[in-house]
Amino acid sequence: MDIALQLLFTGLGIGSIYALVALGFVLLIRAASVVNFAQGEFSMLGAYLMVIFFTGFGLSYFLAMILSVVLMAAFGVIFAGVVYWPLRHRGQLPVIISTIGASILLANLVLVLYGPSPQVLPGVFDAPGIQVGPVFMDSQYLTIIVSAAVLVGLQYLVFEKTLLGKKLQATSQDKEMASLLGIPVATMVLITFAYSSALGGLAGILVAPILFVSVGMGALIALKAFAANIIGGFGSIPGAILGGLALGVVETFGASYISVPYKDAFAFLTLLIFLMLRPQGLFGERIAEKA
Amino acid sequence: MKLLELQGLTARYGAGDVLKGLDLTVDEGEIVTLLGSNGAGKSTTLRAISGLVPNVSGDIRLAGQSLIGMKPEAIVRLGIAHVPEGRRIFPGLTVRENILLGGSNRRGARRGVLESDTDGMFEVFPDLKRLEHALGWTLSGGQLQMVAVARGLMAQPRLLLLDEPSLGLAPLIVQQVFRVVADIRARGTTVLLVEQNAHMALSVADRGYVLETGRLLVSGKPDDLWSNPQVRAAYLGGAH
Amino acid sequence: MTATPLSARRWRGVPVALAALVACVVAVQFVPAQGYYLNILMQAATYGIAVIGIVVVLGYCGQITLAQAAFFGIGAYGVALGTVDFGLNFFVALAIGVLLSGLLGLLLGVASLRLGGHYLAMVTISFQQILTLVLTNWISLTHGPDGVPGVPRAAIFGISFAGGEAYLGLCLVVLVLITLYSWRLKSSRLGRAMQAVRDNELAASTSGIDIFRTKVLAFGISAILGGIGGGLFAGGFSYISPDQFSFPESIVLLTMALLGGVQSPIGALFGTTLLIILPEWLRFLRQVYLAVYGAAVILIMVFLPDGIWGWATQRLRRTPPAPPEVAPLPLLSVKGEATDEPVLEIRGLAKHFGGLRALDGVDLTVRRGTVHALIGPNGSGKSTFINVVTGLYRPTAGRVSFLGQDITYAAPYVRNRLGLARTFQNIRVFRGMTVLDNVVVGAERPGNDIAEDPEAVTERALAALEFVGLRGDAYRMVGTLSYGHQRYVEIARALASSPACVLLDEPAAGLNMTEKQELGVLLRRLKGHGLTILVIDHDMNLVEQVADHITVLNFGRRIADGDPRSVLDSPDVIAAYLGQPQEKQGSHEAA
Repeated sequence: MDIALQLLFTGLGIGSIYALVALGFVLLIRAASVVNFAQGEFSMLGAYLMVIFFTGFGLSYFLAMILSVVLMAAFGVIFAGVVYWPLRHRGQLPVIISTIGASILLANLVLVLYGPSPQVLPGVFDAPGIQVGPVFMDSQYLTIIVSAAVLVGLQYLVFEKTLLGKKLQATSQDKEMASLLGIPVATMVLITFAYSSALGGLAGILVAPILFVSVGMGALIALKAFAANIIGGFGSIPGAILGGLALGVVETFGASYISVPYKDAFAFLTLLIFLMLRPQGLFGERIAEKA
Repeated sequence: MKLLELQGLTARYGAGDVLKGLDLTVDEGEIVTLLGSNGAGKSTTLRAISGLVPNVSGDIRLAGQSLIGMKPEAIVRLGIAHVPEGRRIFPGLTVRENILLGGSNRRGARRGVLESDTDGMFEVFPDLKRLEHALGWTLSGGQLQMVAVARGLMAQPRLLLLDEPSLGLAPLIVQQVFRVVADIRARGTTVLLVEQNAHMALSVADRGYVLETGRLLVSGKPDDLWSNPQVRAAYLGGAH
Repeated sequence: MTATPLSARRWRGVPVALAALVACVVAVQFVPAQGYYLNILMQAATYGIAVIGIVVVLGYCGQITLAQAAFFGIGAYGVALGTVDFGLNFFVALAIGVLLSGLLGLLLGVASLRLGGHYLAMVTISFQQILTLVLTNWISLTHGPDGVPGVPRAAIFGISFAGGEAYLGLCLVVLVLITLYSWRLKSSRLGRAMQAVRDNELAASTSGIDIFRTKVLAFGISAILGGIGGGLFAGGFSYISPDQFSFPESIVLLTMALLGGVQSPIGALFGTTLLIILPEWLRFLRQVYLAVYGAAVILIMVFLPDGIWGWATQRLRRTPPAPPEVAPLPLLSVKGEATDEPVLEIRGLAKHFGGLRALDGVDLTVRRGTVHALIGPNGSGKSTFINVVTGLYRPTAGRVSFLGQDITYAAPYVRNRLGLARTFQNIRVFRGMTVLDNVVVGAERPGNDIAEDPEAVTERALAALEFVGLRGDAYRMVGTLSYGHQRYVEIARALASSPACVLLDEPAAGLNMTEKQELGVLLRRLKGHGLTILVIDHDMNLVEQVADHITVLNFGRRIADGDPRSVLDSPDVIAAYLGQPQEKQGSHEAA
């Protein structure tokens, strides 16, 4: 039982990372109907920016973090302009393929600049963690869980309580109608890209002390986050969060009780099962085409 | 004073030419209705005015200013509110939030002002008050139409474009909707109304235009149009 | 009598392929037995086979695959493990690997049943990732990350292909044969079905194509080709390891297909060769070349969606020749009389979308040889009606029977094969195909009398086009026709399938006055030949001209049914369209 609780904690920790990345995914899907296969690279870039500012320039941890996240937001806007904007009327497939191309481009550019060896990034706190009852709460995992919860809470407040949040919601529900009301739709989409990119970057910064900073760190996280989206219900915000947490827990338990080397397979197996049996996921709608 | 003027409006939308050289005027303070059977080009006319139709030629002028080539967001800021066919209430937002967003075109309007204007809307549409926090997707057709009109009025428009407000509504609700339309004009907003239900439209309008396959068939005062056999033929064919 | 072009079909491409084969066999004599050039060519040939697999599933069928490297890997490991660990003959091991690959490909195709776009992409990625994990971790079977060394080259019946040029020759022969196959596939029935699915899945399903089977076959073929390429790759390079068949490699294969032109096997081979040779020439960019790949993918998508080869061939497209004359459309040369026999019977049909009752218990009977019109104001449920009757929506209640058979829950393609054809309000033609091929899709629907005879199919399609007056445009790409003429192509597609009943969904929508008059003439001719037609439209003049019987819907219910004059004069119908006249208004009480 003690082990189960410990695994639960760890699972929620890594699950929170998946949830954050999945959240970045789903916001882009809702706002721009874009399935962004480069979402993982946002996390990777965020982590590398931390390496530049913290390890390279010697800035304080929090200053480096803020700078990195802000730069990632700016990057999100550039990304939107290059990868999404020219293709926005051409259908789903070209955009998907284009984001795949962007994913490769980004990963390999960083590879050229930094080489394949992983970089080390320390955690936020020096203390290794605290013991709460039978569970040892690693300080970084704790940071992740708390940060994710705070972020989701803040996002909820923005979406539900501010006018901007309402406009963002309106844009994702009916773009043309939003534009008919005078809501600047293009700006809303860019804001969403910026936020999604910043979110991804933050996730990368939070998980870097655990996974090391490497060129490929984002890819696997993104795939699992995408799986989390589908499991939770494609296009659903609570689905993204719950799907991410659930996937983290399933994966951790699976690795511990069944097999460690195939840990990554659990995410994909769960995904395949959902796709076969319940493609709308836990909270999603039916998928159908109108004649 | 001429508020809206269309000259030789030609539009390509999806298929071939949907509008073929349409001329139309709306004077300030009027209700003008655009009639015709389905596919006649009525909705396309409104969409063209709102900037939603990319391939238009001819001219569209609001108080003398040309709207051709302007984006929808800019057009709505000039004072044209469009209540589209099918209402298109945001399904995931509440009635209050939907109405509130109707003021999005008002640059510089503070949140507090918009909130109190929204309260004002609930005075004009008291039946909506109990639905204030209901989500858009839970509403019935008639309720949706009221919310859509309220949302349109929030923009404090000079010209309100109403696209088929009676679509899919039961006759009794339709009467309610048209009472609201008459009321809007009484409060000083000019209305361009597209309707398939010729009878109801002509009962509130000052003037009407009848379209057939993108062209103007006949125009005039409601009584003249109602007794004109061409109008009936435009809908039901043949000479009745 | 038909002209030569039709009967020459059977041997299309074969002379060129034979010439290519001879050229290859001769050319390999000049290649050194080992070293740099041999490796380049072998890689190009084996990758090329796998990339052609992508052409089939993505280019022809429009289904995204990010797992081709996995199938490449299954073929490779099949050969490697089969020969090294189990001592099997090369070709036997290859066969096993390819078979396994094909089966898994079919399985992947099953996943495409309800999913498309990003869902499908995720399924293929998951499959790819799981395979990589298996290859890396199931060490007892696959040797794990160390890989499998010492894979021998092919040998059979005493003939050894161990020598460099011999093995390359083998690879090239296989490549040429596969290129020929896939090139001919494009103009085969299955190929057309794939393209129809890609261009317009709904229209494909109502034209008699079994969507599911088509997609599954596309994935199966693609996987088999991937497996063949991989198997030959293993023999050629004699050492394989898991990282050669991972997700990045799937991206590389996809990029090769896109760069050349995913619609054409030749184009794909061009892209493959380019992307294998280029990194060698750009050796100083070695580190960056994957980044360049990534950028290339984006740029291709934005600027060259047809790929380099596709773009080049577009520019060189010749004006098409004139199509031959054909005998008139046979089924319609029978002059039929209208009878009382019901062809299409609908009872109590209801369709609810959540709380919205789009159809609320509609009865309708279409009798043989009549033109039956369904009219009603906007939003009355007409389109929903036709979509339920053709199987695109499941009814909430009620019964649909066609020629005495209950088709209430039948799949769309089943209904078409029984003889129910339709056109769409918002024109659904297959834009990637010629006018003729669009109609051929209708003519070759399984169950049609001439479906098994390709020449007769083409004749029937041309006859249908002749009937609608478009025979001269047969070889043009359908997208180059005017809107009204594209609608005629749809009608020809329906006619070519020898339908017992044709459903026309707003055929006059979007047509100008002249085109509407032409349409009226066409409908009257169809009526004169005894075809049973159900037409939905708003244009009352048109309806009045052709209809024998009119049903009127309002709010999802039937409000009138009978002969045109009495229906159009009925006060209920007039009220539904124009609104209640003043005298009939009720009290003004609020609800």
